[in-house]
Amino acid sequence: MNAHDRLFNWRTAFDHTVPLWITAAAGAMLLLCPLILLAIQSRLRAETNTELWARWKSWLVLALLMAGPVLLGAAWVFGATLLLSLACCREYVRATGLFRERLIWWVLTLCIIVTFFAVIDHWYGFFMALAPLSIGVIAVAGIVRDHPDGYIQRVALGVFGYMLFGSALGHFAYFANDAAFRQILLLLILSVEMNDVFGYLVGKPFGHRRLIPKTSPGKTVAGAFGSVILTSALVVWVGEYVFAGTVMAGLSHRIGLGLIISVVGILGDLMLSSIKRDLGIKDMGTTFPGHGGLLDRFDSLILVAPAAFHFIGYFNGIGLDQPVRILSGGAG
Amino acid sequence: MKTWKMKPARDLGLSEEERQLSVNRESGLFSGVVRLFWWTLVKLYLRVVHRLSVRGRGNLPHETPFVVIANHASHLDVFILASQLRATIRASIFPIAAGDTFFETRSARRFATLLLNALPMWRRNCGRHAMNDLRERLVDGTSAFVLFPEGTRTRSGAIGRFRPGIGMLVAETDIPIIPCWIEGAHRALPPKRSLPRPTRLRLVIGEPIRFPHIPNQRDGWDQIAAECFAAVEALAGRGSKRGLQSTPMAQ
Repeated sequence: MNAHDRLFNWRTAFDHTVPLWITAAAGAMLLLCPLILLAIQSRLRAETNTELWARWKSWLVLALLMAGPVLLGAAWVFGATLLLSLACCREYVRATGLFRERLIWWVLTLCIIVTFFAVIDHWYGFFMALAPLSIGVIAVAGIVRDHPDGYIQRVALGVFGYMLFGSALGHFAYFANDAAFRQILLLLILSVEMNDVFGYLVGKPFGHRRLIPKTSPGKTVAGAFGSVILTSALVVWVGEYVFAGTVMAGLSHRIGLGLIISVVGILGDLMLSSIKRDLGIKDMGTTFPGHGGLLDRFDSLILVAPAAFHFIGYFNGIGLDQPVRILSGGAG
Repeated sequence: MKTWKMKPARDLGLSEEERQLSVNRESGLFSGVVRLFWWTLVKLYLRVVHRLSVRGRGNLPHETPFVVIANHASHLDVFILASQLRATIRASIFPIAAGDTFFETRSARRFATLLLNALPMWRRNCGRHAMNDLRERLVDGTSAFVLFPEGTRTRSGAIGRFRPGIGMLVAETDIPIIPCWIEGAHRALPPKRSLPRPTRLRLVIGEPIRFPHIPNQRDGWDQIAAECFAAVEALAGRGSKRGLQSTPMAQ
């Protein structure tokens, strides 16, 4: 696959079997859900019923927003992830109160945009360098107002924000520099989202002991075990086709990836729960009515992306056969 | 290390429309950029068309909280006052605007929230409760207000009685009130006209006054309103080049 096709050619979306299958399976599930819901409607409590319908509706929108860019091409993945990152950042700064520090917010936004430039450019060295550079810039921006009160707080919040939405989500976008980005990204999205669903499906009927009650009262030990086992199985199964013919195709590698996605996914969820508990708020925003903000949905993916990136990158490499520094020119 | 003071946005969890109508609104980066352009244009307009002259600019504080008050004769007043404030604290400056004029229709509401950053004050319902929300914003130090204690534009050109609401905002606090006198606005754009005449405008900015020892109750509010009125009225005429003591214009 040449770079132009990777970036813009949506006609190649279903050249590989995995994107076709996952799209078809996700589409079928979304169509089947309302039928199942209608069938079991009478046996459920009214509130559970409303909750499930609300979940289904937002899934419908989310599935389109997540799968759409991946199928359309790498350029769309870059654009959509940048928008997602900036929107998450906005939610984060408003919820934490960092938004009152205008300069830090500006610098943070700028650092995220520059990070995505490095990602789109396929300039790995600069992408990695931007973590310490951004921290430096944010630390300096905190000085400018000559107001040392609360310096550590605003810089710490700024750095945390950069790490989550610049660095971590940047890793997610960086996958799109690989020729096989459609398979890998769809596997990631599918497994991270199913991780949640598995936790819910296993936790609801079998969950008794709470996993970590003060942070997240809804999480049960059974639900966590259920999602680890089922998500790993899903990754092992789908991964066989995604990674066919590469080092990652090994069974132990796929199990490793499955465990990483599922455990880190749960931890990402708990991280956001901790943030929200600490702030004393229920949802990060109102992007999905009745469902919370963007961050409430993408919390797991933010932590999973860099972990999965470096695991896959260690064995297979990411985008090694693709041209580098496509915008800035120069040597890789 | 200092105790953690950062708090979530006051309008967190509100829908876009609820945010526009809320006195708890806090704005973001995009509206900040829009406002930067808007206020640059306003400043340019006032300087070129109305040859606005300003006295006492040094009395304007550089940091929130504070309240800027003035006599109110025209829709130009809010532009004259707010355009003089520092661009770096623009996001924390909120003109208090009449809900029934600026927040009834959707287009007026957009203009008031995006460009002016105005907060609504419903004239039929500006009792204790509504004032308390505003007072809280001042007390926690994140906001500055531009408001006209007369509550409406003068129809005759003469300055009217100040309402006690200003007292409810600042009684028993150390929040500075900056009294200002605007001259020429009634000639340029009286309530009856829809387009301004290009006549000269003057702004006199007085020294800050504070009311930390005035009790936060009815007679205290009246006293603050009266003292604010006196402070604003005392500035009248000081902006003229010849230093003439003119009484408030009545044309």
